[in-house]
Amino acid sequence: MKRTYGLALGAALAGLAGAASADATWGDFPGTTLRVKLIGGAQYEPLYAEIPKWEAATGARVEIISRKNHFELDREIKQDIAARTLDWCVGSNHTSFAPQYGDIYIDLREVVPEEVLAGFVPLVLEHSTVGGRLVQLPRHSDVSNLYFIRSLFENEDNKARFKAQYGYDLAPPETWAQVKDMAMFFANPPAFYGFQFVGKDEAVNGRFYEMLVAEGGQMFTEGWEPAFNSDAGVRALQFFVDLYQAKAVPAGVPNYLWDDTGLGFASGSVALNLDWGGWSAFFNDPANSKVAGDVGLVRAPKGSAGIRTGWSGSHTFSITETCPSKAAAASFVTFLTDYERQMIEARRGLLPTRTQVWEDAKAEFAASGNDFMLHVFSTFQASMAEDAFTPILIPEWIEISNIMWPKIQAAILGDMTAREALDAAAKEVRELMEDAGYL
Amino acid sequence: MARILTSRRAALTPLLLLLPAIATMLFVVALPLVFSLWTSFTPYRLTRPDTLYDVIGLRNYIRLMSDAAFWVAFGRTVLFLAIALNVEFLLGLGIALLINRITWGQRGLRTIMMFPMMFSPILVGFQFKFIFNDNIGILNNALQSLGLTDQAIPWLVDARLAMFSIIFAEVWMSTSVFAILLLAGLFAMPRDPLEAAKVDGCNAWQVFRHIMLPFLMPFAFIAMTIRSLDVARAYDIVAVMTGGGPAGRTELLWTLIARVGYDNARMGQANAMAYVSTLLSVLFTWYFFRKLVAARRYMGGAQ
Repeated sequence: MKRTYGLALGAALAGLAGAASADATWGDFPGTTLRVKLIGGAQYEPLYAEIPKWEAATGARVEIISRKNHFELDREIKQDIAARTLDWCVGSNHTSFAPQYGDIYIDLREVVPEEVLAGFVPLVLEHSTVGGRLVQLPRHSDVSNLYFIRSLFENEDNKARFKAQYGYDLAPPETWAQVKDMAMFFANPPAFYGFQFVGKDEAVNGRFYEMLVAEGGQMFTEGWEPAFNSDAGVRALQFFVDLYQAKAVPAGVPNYLWDDTGLGFASGSVALNLDWGGWSAFFNDPANSKVAGDVGLVRAPKGSAGIRTGWSGSHTFSITETCPSKAAAASFVTFLTDYERQMIEARRGLLPTRTQVWEDAKAEFAASGNDFMLHVFSTFQASMAEDAFTPILIPEWIEISNIMWPKIQAAILGDMTAREALDAAAKEVRELMEDAGYL
Repeated sequence: MARILTSRRAALTPLLLLLPAIATMLFVVALPLVFSLWTSFTPYRLTRPDTLYDVIGLRNYIRLMSDAAFWVAFGRTVLFLAIALNVEFLLGLGIALLINRITWGQRGLRTIMMFPMMFSPILVGFQFKFIFNDNIGILNNALQSLGLTDQAIPWLVDARLAMFSIIFAEVWMSTSVFAILLLAGLFAMPRDPLEAAKVDGCNAWQVFRHIMLPFLMPFAFIAMTIRSLDVARAYDIVAVMTGGGPAGRTELLWTLIARVGYDNARMGQANAMAYVSTLLSVLFTWYFFRKLVAARRYMGGAQ
């Protein structure tokens, strides 16, 4: 049956293999109504303005029954699983969340033709695969690089004072050790801070995790024993502790999430900011940002192991097993992630998942003389290709995060030492892994 | 014979009339309660519905007994409740006494006083989250502009300040519950004992302490019962302002239970926590009802 959907859609989407999809036929689904649950928020909405085009082309109708942020959507989906009310077809998903949902989503390789999938960056498709099944089609990716206020690094007085204090030249940092020095050098609380970081929920655990990798550590051994309470783990956590204790970051960072760090950097009160590409256009827009025209960007720095931080994930779309019109749903998610739609999102700074869109977006920025966005895309393309790694794709990841982040916060705030916090977290994570049958 | 049938029918009538209400209560209250109690004896996970049928006995409850995070949150909720209720009572009493004394514009003031109650707790949470924000918050900006501090005071990060901020938001929103009920008490108060006390030469404090306060206490205990149930399940304001963090410093029972139940999808364990937590509400309600009965008895005697 599933193979039939695949064949039907294969014919319908035959024109999609190429870059341009102006002539693509999206199939014919008159009278079909697709119930969908989508991630909401300013960054995500422009894509949804394209939905009427798909409706006009196919005769189908899209009913958006939920539009929430990912954490709320995640709760709602879990309730749907529990109540067995998966009466919708397409849902926004994320590579970090997907492993939790078991087998509620179909393997998209059975309904999306191989030629279409060939247009995506192979590593991103690999990250979208859970247990050998491609449960999600990536919409845009997410990895962080280091933004900085350029003029601070060009100021001669700053250069001379930094050199005198730290013994090396002030330049955009190449290592996290340098970031620490520079953050402390620039900090002048409460008016100005050197650095900032997201400080709660899965976000701070993700930041710790990528720093752990950059320091040469790992979350688990081969046999799933917690291994993050190693010397590398302590070094990784100590980075955040030291910056907080030195007041080089705002006192409120343990309550910060993505919006707080983005808006904080745009307010001009922070020298260095590790953030995703989606903010780049915003940071350089004079209407929104006090640092517009003065924004620098370098690849995420390296830890002491010589590895760059590169915690990454992708926003994706999935189709439920219970969907009665899988062919229409497959057409819809393919439409939302096709070349044209990705170009729309790329122009706003979101990182595409299609190889061709990377190149064409860069060419478009170059042609229009937008050197800043060209630099942004070149930087993020390099980090997506060389530095990006996902969290551990097991169903327990979010639960592990929920054990980790209060302990990470406790160390940052000085309630525990980094070693104590990681040991305590390791004990709880071990119990969790035992319960889940890994140990 | 016919008479017996008629009387039996008459006896059944109230039951028949009540049947829709009873059926609704069973469906809306009893059934979910029984279901959630059942899940607390299972390893039920939202993402694995089949686990609903694996009975593990008291394992969730036994685990809870040694769960330090749960008991810390339990203790913090009791403290939160005690402080919030007392402050709300004292402020509500003060406001009621002041409003009771004015003769012009009382109605307008009574309406204004109720404004905070009209906001959704989520909005109140956001309002105070921005007021207390260390970097862009109005409070820190005001304190810095007035030259009272040159620091960014971490209102929502420091353990004591964060609890203070949350209690402040809770008190801001709900003091009017006390004020309104106590004001109603003041309106219902007979004038004779007050006048008699004045004739006997009692001063204002004595009148308040020995006549007004005992008369008002039943009203206060009703307000406390209502508010203790409210505060014991406090979630919205805390979830928005701090999410129970940082480092669990403001974790209350329901922020913890929501995280275990929804984010970690361990609904069986969360329901076990919830059942133990309801003990808290039952305890407070029982305590305040006892006090209410005692206060009414005292008031009756005084009259």
